[in-house]
Amino acid sequence: MNRHLPASLSALAFSLALSVAASAAEPVSLKGDVQVERTVTANGTTKTVLAPPTTVVPGDRLLFTTRYSNDGDKPVDSFVVTNPLPAPVRLAAEEAGYEVSVDGGRTFGRLAALTVADAAGVRRAAQLEDVTHIRWTLAHLAPRASGALEYHAVVR
Amino acid sequence: MTRTSTLLGAASSLALVALGASPAFAAGTTAGSTIQNTVTVGYQVGGVAQTAKTASDTFTVDRKVNVSVTEVGSAATVVSPGQVQAVSTFKVTNLSNDTLDFALAAAQLSGGSAAWGGSDNFDGTNVKIYLDNGDGVFTSADTQVTYLDELAADAAKTVFVVMDIPSTQVTGDIASVVLTATAKAGGTAGSQGAALTTSATNTSGVDTVLADGAGATDAANDGAFSAKDDFKVSAAALSVLKTSRVVSDPVSGTSNPKAIPGATIEYCISVANASGSATATNIAVNDPLPANVTYVASSILLNGTVTGSTCNTDGTAGGTFASNTVTGTLSDIAAGVTRTLVFRATIN
Repeated sequence: MNRHLPASLSALAFSLALSVAASAAEPVSLKGDVQVERTVTANGTTKTVLAPPTTVVPGDRLLFTTRYSNDGDKPVDSFVVTNPLPAPVRLAAEEAGYEVSVDGGRTFGRLAALTVADAAGVRRAAQLEDVTHIRWTLAHLAPRASGALEYHAVVR
Repeated sequence: MTRTSTLLGAASSLALVALGASPAFAAGTTAGSTIQNTVTVGYQVGGVAQTAKTASDTFTVDRKVNVSVTEVGSAATVVSPGQVQAVSTFKVTNLSNDTLDFALAAAQLSGGSAAWGGSDNFDGTNVKIYLDNGDGVFTSADTQVTYLDELAADAAKTVFVVMDIPSTQVTGDIASVVLTATAKAGGTAGSQGAALTTSATNTSGVDTVLADGAGATDAANDGAFSAKDDFKVSAAALSVLKTSRVVSDPVSGTSNPKAIPGATIEYCISVANASGSATATNIAVNDPLPANVTYVASSILLNGTVTGSTCNTDGTAGGTFASNTVTGTLSDIAAGVTRTLVFRATIN
């Protein structure tokens, strides 16, 4: 009995924590979106416009956006957004604001600091097409705060 | 194309893996693949880790139609007048991200610039298209086709355009032919699919985008690509010259001989092939002897040479004599080369 008591207590504490989290009325909300970047030439000027992904073929450049908001009345800390890249796309360019992973999300960093092993086991500098995950870290999210996280990718 | 935007509450803080992952081809992600982007957020409230949340967005990759036709060899096919089944080789590559059929059509130019210099000035006959059996060489094992069936993304096939050359053509004549491959819907083996056009509207299925370049005679984004090749005639231009000289007579011998009865005459038949011509082969020389001369047995010499316009009495023994006719077959005569047939006869 003595040996079992701490275990059941911790299980009780864990379930309490879970129910607290669930009853917090989902303080954080996320919404994913994707748009296609198209280059349009009109009246002699070329500009980039964003369009819904109605027609997407290999080579198209996509803008993935994740909108977040803290709907609760308490500040949120250690807000870490992890985004695995869909397999059919590759990162278009490394942009500021996020870290990347080339090993399935185990380690993150700037691309220039990462290496991958080739077929012969030799380490080489990681390339854009090696990126598997993107991670944004926001230390603090005030109540009612919201924003958007973006990255560009190209359909393979 | 379908698209959904969802907001999910997930029980796991592990990152969800994208669904619909498909192997990446040079032609790109396969049409119909879905791209699902999923984000996961972990956070704390009041120092307590909260249940992770995810959000995802999914859409479908459409069909990008692109095809390439290239001429193999980068040079005109050299043909002879009257040649049967002269062959031009093309390669058709499916650069689309989907398996498609490709209708094949061979059209001959009527005038205009040829592919490898010069201008088209004649048409071949009996034009047919054959699919290579894999060895890259036109043989009887290849099959005549009108379309390529179920060509996978990134796959290529070798195709032969075969035609007969009229026997009236001369050196320098050019027949240009254009092979056009037009993308058709795939999916049913053994039958050519429907024509493809760029989808006008966004449908619930996979849309089609024609994204091919402009070929020899087709426009960009028309679902077709074409390449041009030439059949260039190179004929042999043979000229024949027959000369004779008196070798000896019964009175003077070989010293200043005269053509009197009993004198020996040497005939020389020289065959020249003009420079720039094709090599002539199987050259048969027939010379019926005139009346009042008698063939000197075993006197025929083949493949001799000339110096200027003078026959050298050289060459190798050969040829036959029958029915009062001298017959001999010369070796192949390349452009700019002259070969001779020499024989002797006596005046009756």
